[in-house]
Amino acid sequence: MRDVAIIGAGMIPFGRRDEDTLMEMLAYAALKALDDAAQSDTGHVLPPIDAVYVANMGGGMLQRQTAIASSLVDRLSLMPAAAETIENGPASGASAVKNGLLAIASGYYDCVLVVGGEKMREVTGWRATDFVATMTHPQAEYPYGITLPGMAGMFTRLYMEQYGVTREHLLAISLKNQEMGTLNPYAHVEMALDRDGIFDSPHSIVNNPVTADPLHLYDLCPVSDGAAAIVLCSLELAKKLSKPPVLIAGFGQATDTQTLQEREDPTDLKAVTIAAQKAFAMANLTPADIHVAELHDAFTILEIAESEHVGFFPKGEGGKAALAGKTRLGGQIPINVSGGLKARGHPVGATGVAQLVDIVWQLRHELPANRQVQGAKNGLTVNFGGFGNNVLAFVLKRVEQ
Amino acid sequence: MKKEIAITAYKCKQCGKIHYPYHDRCLVCKGREFEKMKPEGDAHLLTYTAIFNLPWGFDQRFLIIGVAEFENHVKAMGQIKVDSVDQLKTGMKVRPSWEPIRVQYGENVYGLKFEPIE
Repeated sequence: MRDVAIIGAGMIPFGRRDEDTLMEMLAYAALKALDDAAQSDTGHVLPPIDAVYVANMGGGMLQRQTAIASSLVDRLSLMPAAAETIENGPASGASAVKNGLLAIASGYYDCVLVVGGEKMREVTGWRATDFVATMTHPQAEYPYGITLPGMAGMFTRLYMEQYGVTREHLLAISLKNQEMGTLNPYAHVEMALDRDGIFDSPHSIVNNPVTADPLHLYDLCPVSDGAAAIVLCSLELAKKLSKPPVLIAGFGQATDTQTLQEREDPTDLKAVTIAAQKAFAMANLTPADIHVAELHDAFTILEIAESEHVGFFPKGEGGKAALAGKTRLGGQIPINVSGGLKARGHPVGATGVAQLVDIVWQLRHELPANRQVQGAKNGLTVNFGGFGNNVLAFVLKRVEQ
Repeated sequence: MKKEIAITAYKCKQCGKIHYPYHDRCLVCKGREFEKMKPEGDAHLLTYTAIFNLPWGFDQRFLIIGVAEFENHVKAMGQIKVDSVDQLKTGMKVRPSWEPIRVQYGENVYGLKFEPIE
């Protein structure tokens, strides 16, 4: 197998993008990643794009648009590149990257474009909530009106009871990630939270109502429009470019039962543990070697639980670590310096790709000082599909030229 | 008239593992033969939530939903007939019933509901 590197990364600001169609967002992000790779290609060594993988979950349901990848290659004039749309729920982004990784590692393709995008704000919140809920079990869960925040609420209750996680721990995640979002020009939510206004004050319930008990409004990520893209090629080729290549040093993916109730211990996110372990084993690194991580914090509880399941903290310690500032920029392991899904937003098809874009920027040391993890060499991403029933993890490594 | 709970669970003939919903292969031993079984008796509540941002198709202010385990160990999701989560506790006994859980195309859709037992 060949080593594979990320040589181009691009993203458009997430948020409510009424002015853009889904295809426009995908194209803008793709062009940014292609331009980024081209800037680095001063010796003109890059071959044409062989294949395009597009991550999208809802185009068929929300925009009534299918065969999205075919449409994108046409729009970008990338013919005759191969093209596929990848749908894997909220893990679609990382799944599309995986397909690009495997295609280059196998030697079949030399240069691949991966684009993830979603347009969720053109339907009502009612419809968007239903669209996301369609990933629950069609007979045993969906008809009851369960939502993904509802699943997270039930999970949080168990986690609180078994591991002593408190609302104060969850709050630490909201405050940190929304603070970081104010520094990220790509973030959907660029608004720092006031602790008193959403937690301490007797009136905080007005600003921060219960949405999926015990989770409150500010425990949830927003519903967003957005797109992100990366360009992949072999490490050998990447070494001929001017920017430091970012090696995909490790990758892991694992699945679990669709319903929480069928897991022996519903608080055990086995797919996260296995995906991360596989990624670390392939990279020959351990959690202690990671300098920066983007974890899938669609709900604040998930950042805490994932930080434990990937091995940064023992079970039951993730919330305390967040409260103690260990996951802030400058802390033991900075998590979601981008603001995470909580602030950057969660256009479901884009998220897994956006996480990699943010880590690429970190490992190339391209971010402003107030967002840059100094000297970062190794990064981790976790993209969490369904309610933890399909999870992908990547370990990225900066390669010195 | 009280309706029968129209849920079928599946007990693996090889290892005894109880499944709901259906799987074509046992989650434990990969066996493919199952004995059908009905949830029996009352249940106890494993976890629950109150959802205030409802999906399309629910014309009400909130929904209280939980997962409960029946006396014969079938576990299933259902709506809970209380006004507030303050009336609930994990581990509490609940009585199941088969009632309308939503309306689709003007027709009632039936499903599990749980009610705390005093």
